Amino acid sequence: MSSAPFRQFVPLVSLVVGALAAASAQAQAPAAPAAPPSWQQGRSAEQGNSTLHPFAPHMTGRASKDLPVDKLKVPAGFKVEVWADGIPEARSLALGDKGTVFVSNRLAKNVYAVVDKGGTREVKTILKGLNAPNGIVFSKGTLYVAERDRITRYDGIENSLDNPPAGKVVIDGLDPQNQPGHFWKYLALGPDGKLYYNVGAPGNIVMPGYFQASISRVDPKSGIVETYVQGVRNSVGFDWHPQTKQLWFTNHGRDWVSDDMPNDTLHRVSHKGMNFGYPFCHQGDTLDPEFGKGRSCKEFDPPALKLGAHVAPLGIRFYSGKMFPAEYRNSMIIARHGSWNRTTKQGYDLVRVTVDANGKATMQPFLTGFLQDEKADPPMWGRPVDVLQMKDGSLLFSDDYNGILYRISYAKK
Amino acid sequence: MNGSFRSAGAAALAAALCFFAGQAVLAADPQLCAVCHGPEGNSIIPANPSLAAQPEQSISIQLFQFREGNRKDVQMTSMAANLSNKEMNELAAYFSKQKAAAPSHKTSSENAAAGAKLAQQFNCVQCHGPALRGQQHIPRLAGQQYEYLLTQLRKFKAQKRADLDGNMTSAAQPLTDKDIEILVDYAAGLSPQ
Repeated sequence: MSSAPFRQFVPLVSLVVGALAAASAQAQAPAAPAAPPSWQQGRSAEQGNSTLHPFAPHMTGRASKDLPVDKLKVPAGFKVEVWADGIPEARSLALGDKGTVFVSNRLAKNVYAVVDKGGTREVKTILKGLNAPNGIVFSKGTLYVAERDRITRYDGIENSLDNPPAGKVVIDGLDPQNQPGHFWKYLALGPDGKLYYNVGAPGNIVMPGYFQASISRVDPKSGIVETYVQGVRNSVGFDWHPQTKQLWFTNHGRDWVSDDMPNDTLHRVSHKGMNFGYPFCHQGDTLDPEFGKGRSCKEFDPPALKLGAHVAPLGIRFYSGKMFPAEYRNSMIIARHGSWNRTTKQGYDLVRVTVDANGKATMQPFLTGFLQDEKADPPMWGRPVDVLQMKDGSLLFSDDYNGILYRISYAKK
Repeated sequence: MNGSFRSAGAAALAAALCFFAGQAVLAADPQLCAVCHGPEGNSIIPANPSLAAQPEQSISIQLFQFREGNRKDVQMTSMAANLSNKEMNELAAYFSKQKAAAPSHKTSSENAAAGAKLAQQFNCVQCHGPALRGQQHIPRLAGQQYEYLLTQLRKFKAQKRADLDGNMTSAAQPLTDKDIEILVDYAAGLSPQ
């Protein structure tokens, strides 16, 4: 492209000028590549030959009978089983008033509904042609869907799954720059009746633009939007503590620093306007090698817990049911999607996080077995995404790698 | 009669058969795919890709993209329209297990080294692997049909090729027309396995 004007230029000028222009054009062509894929952004020159790469889901799904489901382990007394399969890239989960489980995805364009018919489950495609419909939440008969650039509502959808209503826009214009990375959104409904959603940072480590790297909220009645918290690189999971009503959310730390730095994090929001540090400070205590210059982590609000480097925490749910042992109430189950930007892989599990009377959070394993070989490529056979509490107190969780939903239940001995 | 004339005749005949096969929509039978994609998925039609020894996930994802209307093609759109996920997985498993034929394309001597250099410089090897044989959802480029590769890479550059996650569209943006020709000449002549 830079050579086209040069070719017209040559006959008109001296050889010397032509040679200079040629040198300049040659220097420019390889030296000025367009933006790399957003997951490579921020990679150092030494990391240029790294073979680390994100994993893609099996979009056509894999049948659970072909998978080592018996390798999944849960604590004594708990049971894990396949609940439904054949749901392409199953991501976020929402529960309808009548028991319909709604399932979203990030790379496909549909929203699915799983209907339980006395033990057999039917998967229906209810919405089509959406733009990265990762965020879904259900409330009072309405399904809300967060796409790349807007949030829409589908009123009364559970009464007409075979003939869904047209969506009405709650808010749009959420992606004015068509951002290359972290454009998928999580969606949840707060105790204040407002819809909360993330807008991720547009790349791995870049200065975010206006309302990027934030969690915002919109009142579905008025359409009024507020930025709630900032300095959040990308959150793909949040929930409110059943008693304190405070928002807790998971956050993905930056890539390409090292295998062990920085950690992905869990955050507690005590008030609107908090700033959790991105892109200046990571995990509450480590300045960014580039953006951290001249800054201090004391300027920002620290995380409640470090969840491990590159583990990609996604869905988070406070347990409020009665099926599990009493100590599970008000503790969090968090899905760790699993690392790609790490030579030795970790995550691919569910963890349980409890908070003591002093506010100190601790993490312990809850479900393991997806990780097969931490050095292999791919290292896992499944990847947990979102967690949903059912009416009977059991938990469902999604696996986007295989398009499967699993159920975890507990039986007293 | 020389070899290239015979193979050109065979390709023309195959293309004609392929055109008529595309008019029918039948069940998932690898033999039907083979009409256009060649025996055991080794294409002899320059515009059509070889499926043999492609990573399983790379085939099933493209079938999914055709069925969902994300990727469009006069013939593949209708061929994939009625395939179930299970059928797509079975077809992908079948073709991934076939042996790839030796490439029909021969890389020009000047592009062998230049292509290898560009494949490094523009990150092709990061995902497609050091020998461009693909992995997981990333297709094998080594030994793939020259014309098919050229068309696809130009479409990625033009931001008109369906792209699951945007990585290829992004990776193609810095390529010049000349880079694309060199890379395709290089990849199409590599040994597929």
